[in-house]
Amino acid sequence: MANYYSKFLRRELFPILGNLKFAIALLLIIAACSVSGTVIEQGETLDFYQQNYPEHPALFGFLTFKVLLFLGLNHVYSTWWFLALLILFGTSLTICTFNRQLPMLKVAKRWHYYTKPQSFSKLALSTELIGRSLEEIAPVLTKFGYQVYQENGQLYARKGLIGRVGPIFVHASMLLILIGAILGSLTGFIGQEMIPSGQAFQIKNVTEAGIWSHIPKDWAVKVNRFWIEYTPSGAIDQFYSDLSVIDNKSGKELDRQTIHVNKPLRYDGVTFYQANWDIAAVRFTLNASPVLQLPMTVLQAKGTNNKVWGSWLPTKPDLSAGVTLITPDLQGTLLIYDEKGDLVSTVRAGGSTEVNGITLTIKELVGSTGLQIKSDPGIPLVYTGFGLLMMGVVMSYVSHSQIWALQAGSSLYIGGKTNRAQVGFESELLQILESVPTKILEKSYGV
Amino acid sequence: MKLVALQSLLDNASFAILLVTMLMYWISAAFPSIPYLAQGGTAGMAIANLSIFVLLSARWIDAGYFPLSNLYESLFFLAWGITAMHLVAENMGSKNINSKILIGVFTSAIAMAITAFATMTLPENMQGAEPLVPALKSNWLMMHVSVMLLSYSALMVGSLLAIAFLFVSRNQEITLKGNSLGNVSNLRQNQVSLNFDSGFNTGNESSFESSNGAVTTLSLPSGILAIERLTLSETLDNLSYRMIGLGFPLLTIGIIAGGVWANEAWGSYWSWDPKETWSLITWLVFAAYLHTRITKGWQGKRPAMLASGGLVVIWTCYLGVNLLGKGLHSYGWFL
Repeated sequence: MANYYSKFLRRELFPILGNLKFAIALLLIIAACSVSGTVIEQGETLDFYQQNYPEHPALFGFLTFKVLLFLGLNHVYSTWWFLALLILFGTSLTICTFNRQLPMLKVAKRWHYYTKPQSFSKLALSTELIGRSLEEIAPVLTKFGYQVYQENGQLYARKGLIGRVGPIFVHASMLLILIGAILGSLTGFIGQEMIPSGQAFQIKNVTEAGIWSHIPKDWAVKVNRFWIEYTPSGAIDQFYSDLSVIDNKSGKELDRQTIHVNKPLRYDGVTFYQANWDIAAVRFTLNASPVLQLPMTVLQAKGTNNKVWGSWLPTKPDLSAGVTLITPDLQGTLLIYDEKGDLVSTVRAGGSTEVNGITLTIKELVGSTGLQIKSDPGIPLVYTGFGLLMMGVVMSYVSHSQIWALQAGSSLYIGGKTNRAQVGFESELLQILESVPTKILEKSYGV
Repeated sequence: MKLVALQSLLDNASFAILLVTMLMYWISAAFPSIPYLAQGGTAGMAIANLSIFVLLSARWIDAGYFPLSNLYESLFFLAWGITAMHLVAENMGSKNINSKILIGVFTSAIAMAITAFATMTLPENMQGAEPLVPALKSNWLMMHVSVMLLSYSALMVGSLLAIAFLFVSRNQEITLKGNSLGNVSNLRQNQVSLNFDSGFNTGNESSFESSNGAVTTLSLPSGILAIERLTLSETLDNLSYRMIGLGFPLLTIGIIAGGVWANEAWGSYWSWDPKETWSLITWLVFAAYLHTRITKGWQGKRPAMLASGGLVVIWTCYLGVNLLGKGLHSYGWFL
């Protein structure tokens, strides 16, 4: 039985999967399926799809939200059929490498002399020279970068064999990347945390985790400070978080770094990226009170990206009167509005103002840093794949050129072919022929 | 500042030069007997390339960072890339002047259209240099975006050459060389000689036909040297293959650079963002193209059709995704 299956695989299935036309079709099908995910909104709510893809009238006559959800078109890139296509792609790559590329490389490495003048007519470019010698051609070919073999009036020269190796590297590295991606999705995790300045946290809010993922429990991260630097015009220049890694048992600081966008903190296989921010609270004093703190809430105008943060500050013990504190950013300026909604005054952090007979001193605005947390053990494999892939595609640009020559009496037959750069090869061959010295010729014609 | 004046002079100048260049190529395609037009076209491309280079350099000095912060700069970089790739294609070893003219007919038009759009259609406030948002403040920006745009340029020139090939060979059955198997079809001996009855050949015998499938006899003082040269359509087809072959590694490196940057900055090398996905689609389409070239029986027009379709895919990837307004290739939550 096992024998039967392996025979079926080798005789029936492998030739199809390793077939070039199948591979081309697969590439184009994956491309077409990928398009669907950029046209149809991904990861929206059921409500959204019901509204945008109603049953009557159905889009293109068939694309109702039911069809859409059934096919998984709301999350194309993680549907079983898309993943199946990728696995098929990986299988096709593997089979193609062993059934096609390696044998072809073997053929390319093997070479032979041409012993009959007729053989030259089969070559893309060939010609017959009178009164030239093979010995004159060889050094010219070497000068043009060819590796030259010759014996008994026969010559073979080649260059760019690396162009035959390149595609093998490309396929192997694509497999490495696919394997690395699968490994990463099984053993990695992604999380998010929003932490106010001054607080410590353990990784808890994990949004995605592979079945074999490991979330570290023996250390925590403390946000020493979060701040934003602004350009003179008020636009955001950069976000910074000063982070410490703290050992849970000893309380010792294991690492400390200031991160910003494009410069994450890495510790123990986990990476912390600066990804979001918020204003957590405002710290202030009333008259001679100790420093008090009130949380700030984000207020977003509907349908826009304009956000402000606000808080209500009571100015009477029975909470019957108060003012509203509003700030548009973390630059430290607070706008103070009374109950009627009129602007009373503006205060900078460190400054004071009089509201309802009380001296309000703003100490500071407390920012929260939004961290994206990620662990991906597949990265070393993926990066190795990336490196090899870049090398492989560059190697694949090189054209494998071969030149044959044969001395038959006073005639010198010469011809050649290349697998990619026909235009370049043609002009190179003409240059080679032009730069063959002509002194033999004068001798043979014996002026 | 003086640099600003220089910039507004240079962007209009680049457009004007490319317009003149395009006209030279077009006239020389219609009337091949007029001398020096093709050379003029090549010179025009080189001058346009230089003037865009100076324009972008001035902006770099002016703004203090690599000039790829907005659409205007990106368009000019693309136009620069296309003129550069045009010159690369012209110097790929072909001695066939008609192939050079045909490359220019297409590339100068697209480069001209891009500069025209950037200088005249884009609103004034989108032309100025803008400060970089935090997410783009990285050395990876230069690496990723410039390589991506260079790859778009090479792929566009390759696709345009495929269109030129389809145009030239529109009335023929053709089997071509240039496959990675290294096999040569023996059919080319039977090939019909090209016929430029419409538009191209206006009664001038010395025009294109002389270079098609010509048997070149080099004027060496010796021997018989008769080599059957590549025809015009074969030349165009192979140049198209080489330009796409050049653009493909660049695209691969550009996508990988983007992936590594995204992983270093945001913790994910791939997130199926529309722009990312379209770059993958472009990659897949051209990967399919490169494979059609080694498929027996599919050489000739079929790969060229796929390559011409690739042009639409590249433009969708470059502009279409952003115009749809879905995900502005803006990662993170800031943008």
